[in-house]
Amino acid sequence: MKTFEYTIKDPVGIHARPAGMLVKEIKKYASTVTISKGEKSVNALKLMALMGMGIKQGDTVKVTVEGADEDTAAAEIEAFFKANL
Amino acid sequence: MALDYRKCAEEIAANIGGGANVVSAAHCATRLRLVIADNKKLNKKALENVDGVKGMFESNGQLQLIIGTGTVNKVYDEFLAVTGASAATKDDVKKAAASKMPLWKRILKTPGDVFVPILPAIVASGLMMGLVEALAKAIPSFASSGWFGFLDMVANTAFALLPVLVAVSSARVFGGNIFLGCVIGIMMVHPALMNAWTVTPTNQPAVWNLGILKISQVGYQGHVIPVILAVLLMSTIEKKLHKVVPEMIDLFVTPLVTVLATAFATFVVIGPIFSVLENWVLAGATWLVTSTGGIGALIMGALYPFTVVMGLHHMYNVIEAGMLSSATLGVNIWMPIATAANFAQFGACLAVAIKCTDKKLKSVALPSSLSASLGITEPAIFGVNFRFMKPFIAGVIGGAAGSLFGSIARFTASTDIYNTAGVLVYAKGAKVPLGATTYGVTGIPGLLAINNIPLYLILLAISGGIAFVVCNFIWKEEKPEEVKAEEPEAKVEAPKTVVIRCKNGAVYQPVKGKVVARKDIPDETFAGGVLGDGVGVVPEEGLVVAPFDGTVTSVAESKHAVGLESQGMELLIHVGVDTVNMKGDGFTCLVNEGDAVKAGQALIKFDIAKIKKAGYNETVAVLLTNSDDLEEVVCG
Repeated sequence: MKTFEYTIKDPVGIHARPAGMLVKEIKKYASTVTISKGEKSVNALKLMALMGMGIKQGDTVKVTVEGADEDTAAAEIEAFFKANL
Repeated sequence: MALDYRKCAEEIAANIGGGANVVSAAHCATRLRLVIADNKKLNKKALENVDGVKGMFESNGQLQLIIGTGTVNKVYDEFLAVTGASAATKDDVKKAAASKMPLWKRILKTPGDVFVPILPAIVASGLMMGLVEALAKAIPSFASSGWFGFLDMVANTAFALLPVLVAVSSARVFGGNIFLGCVIGIMMVHPALMNAWTVTPTNQPAVWNLGILKISQVGYQGHVIPVILAVLLMSTIEKKLHKVVPEMIDLFVTPLVTVLATAFATFVVIGPIFSVLENWVLAGATWLVTSTGGIGALIMGALYPFTVVMGLHHMYNVIEAGMLSSATLGVNIWMPIATAANFAQFGACLAVAIKCTDKKLKSVALPSSLSASLGITEPAIFGVNFRFMKPFIAGVIGGAAGSLFGSIARFTASTDIYNTAGVLVYAKGAKVPLGATTYGVTGIPGLLAINNIPLYLILLAISGGIAFVVCNFIWKEEKPEEVKAEEPEAKVEAPKTVVIRCKNGAVYQPVKGKVVARKDIPDETFAGGVLGDGVGVVPEEGLVVAPFDGTVTSVAESKHAVGLESQGMELLIHVGVDTVNMKGDGFTCLVNEGDAVKAGQALIKFDIAKIKKAGYNETVAVLLTNSDDLEEVVCG
């Protein structure tokens, strides 16, 4: 299991487009990705649930990657966060 | 040297033009903060020289007197007592509020205003009395024990000296000084007077001869109306005097004259006249309950809930308190009527709670009925029964029936029964009417105060049961009809065109306008299917309605998008492109996360012109976000 924390820089937060892109990215990997903010945490593949979190700019989220390809997945997803969110 | 708080407060009062010149008084940790009506009346030099006042300045329209930590609150208390400041200001507020009511309503409301605040004392005493008596009945040796003597004394205190409580409460209501009010109350049950409860044809009180006036040396134990009126007179005199007496002598002239004048008026006029009048009222109420074969009670039981609706039911407290301290009755035989009326509303409300299918109504009706069973009927009456009227009528019927039973029910006294004053009211073997040892307690808690539990349980069963059955019979849930009445409007808007179909179900067009293919939505994310498959709609009208029966799973903070779920379909309705940047301006979201919605129900209202003006495309994206997991998805 791999985890990293990231503070959102995108001004609209994880809303429709960023969320969709994130889901698309995560779908590439076999690992299960969980995103949590405070008490709430969701399966990052669930677009609706992800958007329902209401993650805004400045929020720090914790990303957990677990599965066969977790090493590469975690690194790639973190890179994706940095580049897009 | 310790400060003389009273003297300090008096001197402050004297130098600011008296209590009449105080608009409001408050204090913080060190300062007394006064709002003064007329600053010309201030004697600032003298104020600074008052012993205890360490400094003075004016700020924000307040006169601030620095007195010091730990002493300012004491000076403040004295200041209020000296000037009557808080009583006067409260009184003004109350007066302003009350003057909007018609006179008859104000008159009927007064007893409630007086009796509701003293309810804790009455309930404590009444319930204790009920328990002590029940114990005495159950354990005969208890009745002759010291325990009984002591507990009985404790329990009946509030009733034996009821005029004092009534007087203090009345003084608050009428804006008089409560300590002077208290004096009037104590005076009316002064130990030097003969106890009214011990008066018999052969044991008459002595008389004081004051020339042409004669004053009977008897107290007013068990009376309430003369007490209320005496204090009303006292408060009126006191307030008048505060206005006319020069401030310099106001402090000692006003209380003296007030008490003396009130005392004369009370013992010569108010007391004798109104105690007779009150006896008539009581006798009338008693007659109504006991001697009309139950018809009177039946009518009162039916009328009772209407007085609750008008907020006037506390006026019965006068009658109930009178009954409790009456030498001939000794129990509150009004309480079974109140209980029947209240418990019937419980029955009717419970019937609604059980019968209704509407979740919202159920969630209101159930707790309301529970509260009604404990004697607090307002939620049930206003929240449910009166709203639909028929349950209320069912309650009226049940209450009338229960009251009828309550008034004709009798049981045989197994021991001698005394009233709160220790006067024998029912000898062993006499027929005793159903009654309570307190007022203000009805329904299930009334079991603690009632003089016969089996009869009381029957009364509860009759009133609650009849109301329940009648309500079940006459009340039909109108809710679906009401919704139907509203729905045609919504139905007109209800979507008929299916825009997305899959194995799980159909998604109807949620916005009026031209349907375009997903690929033609002018946004690469939507068009590229990143957010799932679906369609776009170029809106003709700024209203998004639910495309199916489902649940709202998410609402964007900027109100321009909503997520819905139904039968495994996760749907995103996103109004416009990049409209997240409008931060909610021009959008109104009509639902919340977790809401259940019906097809056609309005979800989001938006302003097409505003979106265009802000430079964004208004196309509404309707996307099945989990389309990859769904089978046989067909769009358009």
